[in-house]
Amino acid sequence: MIEIVQKGKSRPEMVINMGPQHPSTHGVLRLEVTLDGELVTHVRPHIGYLHRCFEKYGESVGDYGMVTPFTDRMDYVSAMNQEHGYVIAMERLLDIEVPERVEYIRVIMAELQRIASHLLAVGTFGLDLGAFTPFLYVFTEREKILDIFEKSSGARLLYNYMCIGGLMRDVDDDFKKDTEEFVRTFRPKITELQNLLTYNSIFIKRTAHIGVLPPKVALNYAASGPVLRGSGVKWDLRKNNPYSIYDRFDFDIPVGEGEVGTLGDCWDRYIVRVLEMEESCKIIEQALEAMPDEGDVQQNVPKRVRTKPGEIYARTETPRGELGYYIISDTSAKPYRIKARAPSFVNLSLLPAISRGSLMSDLVAIVGSIDIVLGEVDR
Amino acid sequence: MADLTQNLDKPVRNALTENHENERKLTILEKIYLPEIFKGLWYTLKQMFKPKVTMMYPEEKWDPPAIFRGRPVLVEDNGKERCVACGLCARACPPLAISMQAEETEDEKERYPAFFEINMLRCIYCGFCEEVCPEEAIVMSKDYDLVYHSRAEAIYGKDKLLVDKEDLKERLDFLKEYKNRQFGQFWKFRQDNNIHSVRDRDEEWDTGLSLVDLLESKKETD
Repeated sequence: MIEIVQKGKSRPEMVINMGPQHPSTHGVLRLEVTLDGELVTHVRPHIGYLHRCFEKYGESVGDYGMVTPFTDRMDYVSAMNQEHGYVIAMERLLDIEVPERVEYIRVIMAELQRIASHLLAVGTFGLDLGAFTPFLYVFTEREKILDIFEKSSGARLLYNYMCIGGLMRDVDDDFKKDTEEFVRTFRPKITELQNLLTYNSIFIKRTAHIGVLPPKVALNYAASGPVLRGSGVKWDLRKNNPYSIYDRFDFDIPVGEGEVGTLGDCWDRYIVRVLEMEESCKIIEQALEAMPDEGDVQQNVPKRVRTKPGEIYARTETPRGELGYYIISDTSAKPYRIKARAPSFVNLSLLPAISRGSLMSDLVAIVGSIDIVLGEVDR
Repeated sequence: MADLTQNLDKPVRNALTENHENERKLTILEKIYLPEIFKGLWYTLKQMFKPKVTMMYPEEKWDPPAIFRGRPVLVEDNGKERCVACGLCARACPPLAISMQAEETEDEKERYPAFFEINMLRCIYCGFCEEVCPEEAIVMSKDYDLVYHSRAEAIYGKDKLLVDKEDLKERLDFLKEYKNRQFGQFWKFRQDNNIHSVRDRDEEWDTGLSLVDLLESKKETD
């Protein structure tokens, strides 16, 4: 749909709908773009095409444990991290101490999922900009992670693996071996990705100085995750407000430095994701070393979740940023209210601010670089 | 740093802000993009001699491991369903996909589902139904490619759900082992959960046979 708007005596402006079937909107996102020639004057994201009433479902579904499969479906490319956030919130609400082994397995799973999610993000980002080669090779790597998940949880995308107080089942016997093997073979692949994509001059030309997000604006919009860190703000909940057992690991928080362009451009957001994969590898290696070999993963799982009236807000760092669950409980079996603070939703609200004045073709790069998952935006 | 309020009020033609003092100038080799193209081609060429990771899908089917959660099915034991229509799976189902109606039977099992339906459009393959089933009557199979031509067709009745236990052997064996590991012992469903449904219980309970199997073997000995 193209519509030409005549505004007084100034030049005509054109309104174009990008999406919801546009391949580079990463799902069903509709952008109403107002163009002046080829320059974007205004972008208005229209969301809600994938709305599945997560919050209402949480209130009306049977009990607290039955919400976990639906948290998977919020951000379906990082389902483990979503479950992790929910079970942490519930465990704090119920005062459940989780066995050591469970904590380690959860952290390893969450970090593997972070790698898988970032692989998908950088792969499709390259694809948006015309780099098809890296996309296929990152998917090969992602497949190896999904194989590890499948062996332990029984599903490849929506795992339903963590439960309140523990895990649905113990990990596979080969889990340790497989994960060590994966980390060992994955490290050289990051270098390969860097060689193929990161310093490619075409890629740099498409991403440097594009979609610049100054740190102040990022903070004003409450951005989080790689979008915030790409602007040079060192903020990661795993370090700044450690949950689970993240305070035991030694790792860095990569931030954007404006190496080939302006601080906070698309390239910086991309490089933060690539460097974070390396940091996740470090965490996995340390966790595998310290993980207890024996232990019942279900010993602290409550037979029935009994809650007192109360409320809890727990936040965790997912690959896309800060995920918060706000749960209000009463004495009934169902939650009174569940609110999810989805990082993709908040990051998407940045889009009109940073895409103003850019070219239409750069809008694709900007949408790709903030890495939204519409399942989480709409919930 | 760009002023935010000004930035929002009117579009700036140039997205550049002055914050790019860290910028590194690209080297000559990086600026000419031909080496990059050849690097990509060389990488692709190398991959041609590595083992394939893809499969010719519709011709070549993927066989999932026993842990895989495919579509839920009812276990058929000696021509009858194991299910006693207790309704626990329907209670535990997060998307409310399962519905059933219990009926009494002359059989010693006492109850059976008159109809048992799973709405496969609603099913989310979470595996909770299998988790709560006291009779090991509903299990997750390996089927993963489901096709329907209409919505009505997607509601699976007993005719589509019943699968012989021999075909599900791998999954049933896996469940036995996994429940062993979780609870430290084999969960004796028939003793622990279903005492009410058996009129004259004897010491044969530890044989590891299912309820229907047990009743069949009893008939033979009588």
